[in-house]
Amino acid sequence: MKKILLVLEFELKEYLENKMFVGTTLAIALLGALLLCLPTLFDLSGVLPVPSKGNNTVAEEETEETEEEPEIIYYVKDEQGILTETMITEALGEGTWKYITEENMEEAIKSEEIDAGFVIRSYDEMDYYVLNKGMMDMEKEMLESVLVTAGQMKYCEEHNLDFEEMNSIYNKEIVVNEEILGKDTESNFWYCYIFEMLVFMMIVLYGQMIATAVTAEKSNRSMEVLITSTTPASLLFGKVIAGAIASVMQVGVILISILGSYRLNRKAWGGILDMVLDIPGEVLLTFAFFGLGGFLFYAFLHGAMGALVSKTEDVSKAISGLMMVIMIVYFLSLVQLSNVDGIIIKVLSFLPFSSYSAMFARIAMGSVSMVEVVISGVILVASIIGAGWLSAVIYRMGTLRYGNPIKFTKILKEMKNDK
Amino acid sequence: MKLEVRNIRKSFGEKEVLHGISFEVESGNALGLLGRNGAGKTTTMRILMDVFKSNNGEILLDGKPFEPAKQKIGYMPEERGLYPKRIVQEQMVYLAKLRGMSKAEAVKSSEKWLKKLEIEEYANRKLETLSKGNQQKVQLAATLVSEPDIIILDEPFSGLDPVNSQILKDVVNEMIQEGRLVIFSSHQMSYVEEFCENIVVINHGDVVLKGELKNIKKEYGKNRMILACDDFSNEETKKLISNKFSSFAKVTGENKEDVILELEPGKSKAEFMEALLKEKVNVAKFGNYEPSLNEIFVMNAGDEA
Repeated sequence: MKKILLVLEFELKEYLENKMFVGTTLAIALLGALLLCLPTLFDLSGVLPVPSKGNNTVAEEETEETEEEPEIIYYVKDEQGILTETMITEALGEGTWKYITEENMEEAIKSEEIDAGFVIRSYDEMDYYVLNKGMMDMEKEMLESVLVTAGQMKYCEEHNLDFEEMNSIYNKEIVVNEEILGKDTESNFWYCYIFEMLVFMMIVLYGQMIATAVTAEKSNRSMEVLITSTTPASLLFGKVIAGAIASVMQVGVILISILGSYRLNRKAWGGILDMVLDIPGEVLLTFAFFGLGGFLFYAFLHGAMGALVSKTEDVSKAISGLMMVIMIVYFLSLVQLSNVDGIIIKVLSFLPFSSYSAMFARIAMGSVSMVEVVISGVILVASIIGAGWLSAVIYRMGTLRYGNPIKFTKILKEMKNDK
Repeated sequence: MKLEVRNIRKSFGEKEVLHGISFEVESGNALGLLGRNGAGKTTTMRILMDVFKSNNGEILLDGKPFEPAKQKIGYMPEERGLYPKRIVQEQMVYLAKLRGMSKAEAVKSSEKWLKKLEIEEYANRKLETLSKGNQQKVQLAATLVSEPDIIILDEPFSGLDPVNSQILKDVVNEMIQEGRLVIFSSHQMSYVEEFCENIVVINHGDVVLKGELKNIKKEYGKNRMILACDDFSNEETKKLISNKFSSFAKVTGENKEDVILELEPGKSKAEFMEALLKEKVNVAKFGNYEPSLNEIFVMNAGDEA
């Protein structure tokens, strides 16, 4: 244990003395915090859907009216007078449109004089002109809606019906009192999505770093001295735990900075990032256990794979099989996020290769009993210890074989023979 | 302290690379492990250090199974083994602590060895910024920082200039004088001759020669002598022996300034000398021939290219 701590201290120091590592961590943390402070420092209400500065109330509250005259950006041609001015203003906004009579709409749009134009041909037909249709453009739907209303009003008038009465029956407002007794999948989805990505990135990035560090020690022969000074298990455990601490420190600093900054500036944001950045404590705790567990499991395996090759340029080849498993688990988990109580994710949540992601998603979004969580946790912890032991043996056997990369199957065969 | 290696065999896959290596060495002595490239020296050392497991055989320390982890051992591998991007003293302290020293002891010992090897000015430099020779000295300092009782050095002199070699020689001699057990391999036979009382020559995984160097030299010099004559070149001396003294000795080789001869069976050195004087040969040099370790090595390990 003492030697594991010695190795851990030495390895961790390498991360913490690495200017690139520290610099990148602080830069991302500061940048994230600073970006989240922007709505407090500047009025971004024109750019983002946030309350204007000086009116730090939640998004639902009305914003102050600006004194600027709105610009005409729509042309409407309605020769039959089907829509009233009030209706068009309701759909397109006050002062943003004007009637035209000539057929010059296309040219005006091409010259970017206006954004879009409408020709109302009848109660059932209209033309919509636009240069580039954006994903979020809603003006067509809004005008279409008022055209339908106009048609309904005309029908009521022709048939001596009371439009207001009919409208109130068809569009009756229902009061819904929502009380979620379990989990709100809709709001938890984004946390899960982000954390799945975060663990995936940690495993890939730090796994590669750990594998490279092991290969580098083999390449510069320091392994030969180390292995005669302590046990391979101490070396591997110290190295992997140091990598885990470094990664947790890096991700932790960045997360604390971003989440903290958002908490402080939440009012200025009008709560619009709550679904991503207002993460409940229990979700963070679950992430900490299963995320870190999965990371350690893969980190040990990365260490063992690193010991199979002698040159750092061969590391990516050595870990390619492991990467394949990680990618498959990642994509399967993401796909299954929309069905967190399905059988596939249930199975995945008990396998050590995937429980870090699947069980985390089930806890955050689905129905899972405490017994299942405990079983999955125990399997994960046992698998981490198993992976650590197996990796230490592979590390011991592979680490002093120089030359061509050693096949994983060959090492396993030799392990069997050694018994 | 007596270290015994008994009948060590090692195979990598189908190929057996060590076919039963045996030798022994005691504290206060240095053993020279000699052999050509690929002979099995490094594998033997790695087995000694428990880096590799042998397939057969045993290693005993004072009659009990040798467990390197429980001994104070300093091992310097052939291709060196330190972190190029880490600070020199930092990694020395790390290695010393891994071998059981406290931090204070490790710092003190690292300072001592850096000073002794005249590299204290590089204590806070990254290893990769040092010259090859200084890196080599740092490696030795890191080997000795834990004050080991058993020191195993694989090619310690490679890459060192004469001045640094002298510093290293002094340190190794001091270790031997202090009663430590030293095993080292080298291709530079002069160093082996200087330090080692015992040698083991390994060739193709077999011990082809072992024993006390003094006795080996004596054995290889038995019935052989050197001869130099005034005003005669080596060629003329060889002709003289072949023409007039072939019944006493035959020429087996030559050095720069003398000829090496082997006595014919039944003849003594005194009889040969008497014959030379009788023929009025102006003998400049006549004496026992003592082969160099290099010659002994070539005779034993230089059989095949």
